[in-house]
Amino acid sequence: MSAVTDPPTLAYRRARRRWGAPFLFLLPAALLFVAFLAIPIGYAIYLSFRGMRMAGGGPFGVRQETWVGLDNYVAAFTDPELLAGLGRLAIYGIIAVPLTLGLALTFALLLDLPRVRGARFSRTAIFIPYAVPGVVATLLWGFLYLPSTSPGTWVLERVGLGGLDVLHGPMLFPAVANIAIWGGVGFNMIILYTSLRGIPADVYEAARLDGASEWDIAYRIKIPLVAPALVLTGLFALIGTLQVYGEPTTLRPMTSEISQTWVPLMMIYRDAFTRDNLSLAAASSVALALGTLVVSVILLRLTQKRSFGES
Amino acid sequence: MMRRTIPVMATLSAVALALAGCSSGSGSGGADAEADGPITLDYWAWGTAQQPMVDAWNAAHPDIQVKRTDAGGGTDSSAKLVTATRAGNAPDVAIVEYNTLPAMIVAGVAADISEHADGLEEEFAPGVWSQVTFDGATYGVPQDAGPQALTYNQAQFDELGIEVPTTWEEFADAAEKVHEADPDSYITTFAPAEFGGFAGFAQQAGAEWWSVDGDTWTVDFDDDASVAVADYWQDLIDRDLVLAEPLLTPEWNAKVNKGEVLSWPAGLWAAGVLYGVAEESAGDWAMAPLPRWDEGSSAVGFQGGSAVVVTTSTEHAEAAAEFARWMGTADEASAAQIEQGQYPASLAGQELTLESDPPLLMPQQKDYWETAAEITRSTIPEISWGPNVNVASSAFQDAMSTAVTDGTPLRDALTTTEAEVVEDMETTGFEVTQK
Amino acid sequence: MSTVTTPRPAGVRRLAADRPRPRPASRRGAILPSVVLVLGALYCLVPVVWVLVASTKSSSELFSTFTFLPGTGLVENLGDLFAYGDGQYAQWALNSLVFAGVGAVACTLVSTMAGYALAKYDFPGRQVAFYAILGGVLLPGITLAIPQYLLMSKIGLAGTYWSVLLPCLISPFGIFLARVYAVSAVPTETMEAARIDGANDARVFVSVALPMMVPGMVTIFLLQFVGIWNNFLLPFIMLSDERMYPLTVGLYTLLSKGSGTPSLYSLAIIGSAVAIIPLVAMMLVLQRYWRLDLISGGLKG
Repeated sequence: MSAVTDPPTLAYRRARRRWGAPFLFLLPAALLFVAFLAIPIGYAIYLSFRGMRMAGGGPFGVRQETWVGLDNYVAAFTDPELLAGLGRLAIYGIIAVPLTLGLALTFALLLDLPRVRGARFSRTAIFIPYAVPGVVATLLWGFLYLPSTSPGTWVLERVGLGGLDVLHGPMLFPAVANIAIWGGVGFNMIILYTSLRGIPADVYEAARLDGASEWDIAYRIKIPLVAPALVLTGLFALIGTLQVYGEPTTLRPMTSEISQTWVPLMMIYRDAFTRDNLSLAAASSVALALGTLVVSVILLRLTQKRSFGES
Repeated sequence: MMRRTIPVMATLSAVALALAGCSSGSGSGGADAEADGPITLDYWAWGTAQQPMVDAWNAAHPDIQVKRTDAGGGTDSSAKLVTATRAGNAPDVAIVEYNTLPAMIVAGVAADISEHADGLEEEFAPGVWSQVTFDGATYGVPQDAGPQALTYNQAQFDELGIEVPTTWEEFADAAEKVHEADPDSYITTFAPAEFGGFAGFAQQAGAEWWSVDGDTWTVDFDDDASVAVADYWQDLIDRDLVLAEPLLTPEWNAKVNKGEVLSWPAGLWAAGVLYGVAEESAGDWAMAPLPRWDEGSSAVGFQGGSAVVVTTSTEHAEAAAEFARWMGTADEASAAQIEQGQYPASLAGQELTLESDPPLLMPQQKDYWETAAEITRSTIPEISWGPNVNVASSAFQDAMSTAVTDGTPLRDALTTTEAEVVEDMETTGFEVTQK
Repeated sequence: MSTVTTPRPAGVRRLAADRPRPRPASRRGAILPSVVLVLGALYCLVPVVWVLVASTKSSSELFSTFTFLPGTGLVENLGDLFAYGDGQYAQWALNSLVFAGVGAVACTLVSTMAGYALAKYDFPGRQVAFYAILGGVLLPGITLAIPQYLLMSKIGLAGTYWSVLLPCLISPFGIFLARVYAVSAVPTETMEAARIDGANDARVFVSVALPMMVPGMVTIFLLQFVGIWNNFLLPFIMLSDERMYPLTVGLYTLLSKGSGTPSLYSLAIIGSAVAIIPLVAMMLVLQRYWRLDLISGGLKG
């Protein structure tokens, strides 16, 4: 492994001369990192081995926090609902991630084409949902889904067809995923688009002179060149998927098909707050965080060893 | 409700204060406030009746001022109470639904107020009082009572020539008539997430989900009575005679307004809620006793209803208990409740209803309060809730919703719920026998 | 395997953005992409248009008139919105502004300092710090919310403004971006020159590096501002006093209470409309300052 940015000798000289400065620059970040990331992680791990247990006295008893070993992990992993939640998450992710990235890439490539009309308008419009909080986005889509306020149903009823209830039955997953896609396409599009704009123009010119079509250029030159950005946006989309919480929670009062344990984070929230079982919630959180890290690392290894610019 | 706009400057300084490190907690008022000024109590309560009640209290008690916060409905509010208690910023007083009170005691939220409860017992009917006393200790003051009744669209019933059903069998026949007359209309909704409603129906049929003998609990969610209730609704769902979907969604509200949902068997508070949903149809509605399972017994269970509890976090337990008592028993408090269509828990308050106008939803029903009093006299006196109703209700909601969605038997959902409840109690270390 | 990214002053490369646009493309080639893009734009705008239209409807019109038909209740809805719960909505908006504004400014400063140190200094533990930050980027922030809540409770901060503000100040992703930007935008030669002139480290940072990093800082600020503004779970867990809620949690409670009191649906809708207008406006105005290529910049080795 070698240094990233500077020739080693120079770096070495500076390090010897001023070793205190970088630590001072890093100090606020390090303190915050320890206080709000490291310690909470450690505490979650500690808590996941604890539990509230009866300590005698009366039918309602008195409960005390004690050491319970792996009980919480056993309970979490043997709960069919957690596994079912992961299954639902997988379906949701299979819809949401490729569509978000696919649409973002398509729009970015189209924006990068010469002679596109209204590119500025489209780019701005597609980016706007990024400014809409997830809860608000869910509210908007929720009302567009509900038969009594949906424009789709209004039209269908006028032409004599029955209403369409996307919140029940097979349309539920696409309906929830659509909210995430809507919110995510613009942001990812801008990342990819700015990456495309960062490619030196001479790269294309030779190809154009050789008579390559825009499609060829996109497929053979542009996509490979923005591949690192695609990996990164893919990674964020994946992490985002594992963290799905707000959209289904906000939609829940509108349909009985979204249970309180629909996705793992909803289950964690339920265990922690509705059921007052913080230790079980901590165990599931630790498992979910570990799972995310493992999946991310595998993805990065598989796609791009030099990711994040570090050797 | 009082409305005013906080001036921006005041808001800004509030932000600055909070950022300067003041915790928002109630306790921060501290002991010195007691010495040289009026006490301020924080009170968490939802529902339209609360603010007028609090205003009446504040007007009469300059030394103990109450600040009300709406922390969400029953479930949200109790989850927040638990977290706030852990965080040390719980309010001094809060409203808790009867069936979540045991969980609030176990979680250390509700304080034992026995020493401030002299003479309180006589103010309430035994069935109501038993909801707030456990093992001889008192944990709250009952505020409203929700014995189950049938709130129905009388205008529609008359139009279809349907008599008000007095038994569930007649109710099923009426359901058939309603649906025959208009395939878009249903007599009522079976909302799979309504744990309290189903519990009430099952109690009416004689179910006892939790019982305790000494230190040993018996848990039985799938006893004969509960299974019979599940099968009854199963049959109506299978024949497409009831609407199986969540209540109070924009969809449901629209259907009520269109006259496509004709009744709602629920606690007496239903009149107030329906008025909020379908104000325009006020005057079409009426209330009757809940249909019975058999001709002989007229006992009904409760659905909802709540008590005012003093929290373990308060530094003003005595003042808080005084406020709780006033909220549960004072005539001014009851009057404000009645105006909002709530049924007071205290005997005096119930007496007061007899001189009051019927709720806004049914101004034409002159005997509303007499009927309510009659229903209340025949509520089941002893209903005991277990220590983990929160687990039971969340398990029940998911199991029932899945059953309705997937078309699996509702009775199996009861067995699933029981298994989760027992497992949770055993993990915690309770002595449990399962039936 | 080693990767050396030579620091290049921005603007030296001939960017695609500057390139002239010759090439004769067939007309069809330009029309189809335009149509697809406009469809994409419509997909993204429809819900926003809906909320703006719906906010003009009174509660009875909401469920009875055609979705995209404007109603007559705009003024009344606005009045109700700002009168709700003693002016709670204005309070929520102010809270959101404080959380997002203060949080994003502080976070940008913290991230810039840390990113600069990681990019421009070699010191023992640098690799460890970098991997810790990378781990932080990959860790789902939400799984931390519960332990953060419990720890905040232990030190008595849960339920205060601090409990939402402090965890927002650390953003591993922000540090990562700052590092990427410092690598490419701050030439080591300039720093050395300043040092030879006798400037100490603090002075080099403040008067040489910081001005060069401003575009990157704007991007970090905007990302963090939007992130905090849109955050739901953290304030939802941390706060219990309605008056301290940010807009997201406030609107959520309006919506969930709406089930019992349908008139609140209109409030939730107009509240949403009012809440997104300033943010959308900010995005439009600051659009040109976005340097999102930064995000992928670190990936080009």
